[in-house]
Amino acid sequence: MKSRMHAAILATIIIIVVVLAMAFALKGIALYIPPRNVRTLAEIFLNTTFNQWVNISAMAPEAVTAIVWDYRGLDTLFETSVMFIAIVGALTLSRGVGEKLFISGASEAGGLSVIVKTITRIILVMISAVGASIALHGHLTPGGGFQGGATIAVAPMILIVTFSVYFIVKRISIKKAVLLRSAGLGVIALSSFIVLIVALFKGGIAYIFQNQVKMFSPYSVPSYIGDSLVIGGTLLLFNAAETFAVAFGFIALLILITLPEEQFRKIILESEE
Amino acid sequence: MITLEVYYLLMAVAAVLSTVATYFAVIERDLVKAAIFSALQSSFYALIFYLLMAPDIFLTYVPVSVGLYTALVLILIKKTERYEGE
Repeated sequence: MKSRMHAAILATIIIIVVVLAMAFALKGIALYIPPRNVRTLAEIFLNTTFNQWVNISAMAPEAVTAIVWDYRGLDTLFETSVMFIAIVGALTLSRGVGEKLFISGASEAGGLSVIVKTITRIILVMISAVGASIALHGHLTPGGGFQGGATIAVAPMILIVTFSVYFIVKRISIKKAVLLRSAGLGVIALSSFIVLIVALFKGGIAYIFQNQVKMFSPYSVPSYIGDSLVIGGTLLLFNAAETFAVAFGFIALLILITLPEEQFRKIILESEE
Repeated sequence: MITLEVYYLLMAVAAVLSTVATYFAVIERDLVKAAIFSALQSSFYALIFYLLMAPDIFLTYVPVSVGLYTALVLILIKKTERYEGE
């Protein structure tokens, strides 16, 4: 009886979805359709993203990464800062847990069977390699810093489940993860000033988040090494640093959230007395 | 040679299957199974994003919604209750 009811509801939902899609595809429902001249914006991006024959060009083959780190770099910087502030909030809630964990007698024994652990060791390398390739090719192919970092962050998650959270805390403590995360953010901040610093030394002017030549500012980060190796100016720097920042930020958060509640409570209550 | 219609058909199938997965995720009382249905729905969405030529979204969506989000929900279930009451 109950399964028949579920089947009926499911069939209804599927029919509604199909009918709505059909109606939309056959232009029975006219929702808002963007006007044609919106596409001039896309044309501007396509003309300036990788174009050696115009003065102002991002010189990166990947339009999305160029937009994220060049056209609207400041926006992305603040997005990264939002995640950093979230991590700071989590650390404030769990003050001192990372350092006092091993004093309270926790061991890294346990976890799943040897088969699972061995497979995890193999998969770990593969996940990290895929993440690194997504991040470091971010200026050439779809992908970038956040995507690569989030992919790499899946590796410690699997590690925590198959081994134990103490296993990972012993190797990468929360303090170390936050330190590396801050270092990544620091490199992002520095890279946004790199052209400005060079320009000021040479007595010229430049903009914050400048990558390539802009109006009134002839300075740029080299877009090529040699003839064929495209590094996309500051984009490679930004992507690499963002990967670090996102991956280690996630590691810190994952450690905090998977710590056993009893341990957590014991350490916090002891520190409050 | 794969024509455009094949892509549209794949998208339509993925969309309908994601609706089914969403329905099961909502009605399921075992929350671990519900999390897995949610991950299944995310996988179908990722396929749709890829077919709609948004590979950047695809690359963000797969690790976040299938990997990290599911893991987060499973940790929450571990810390609270596995079965939903009436």
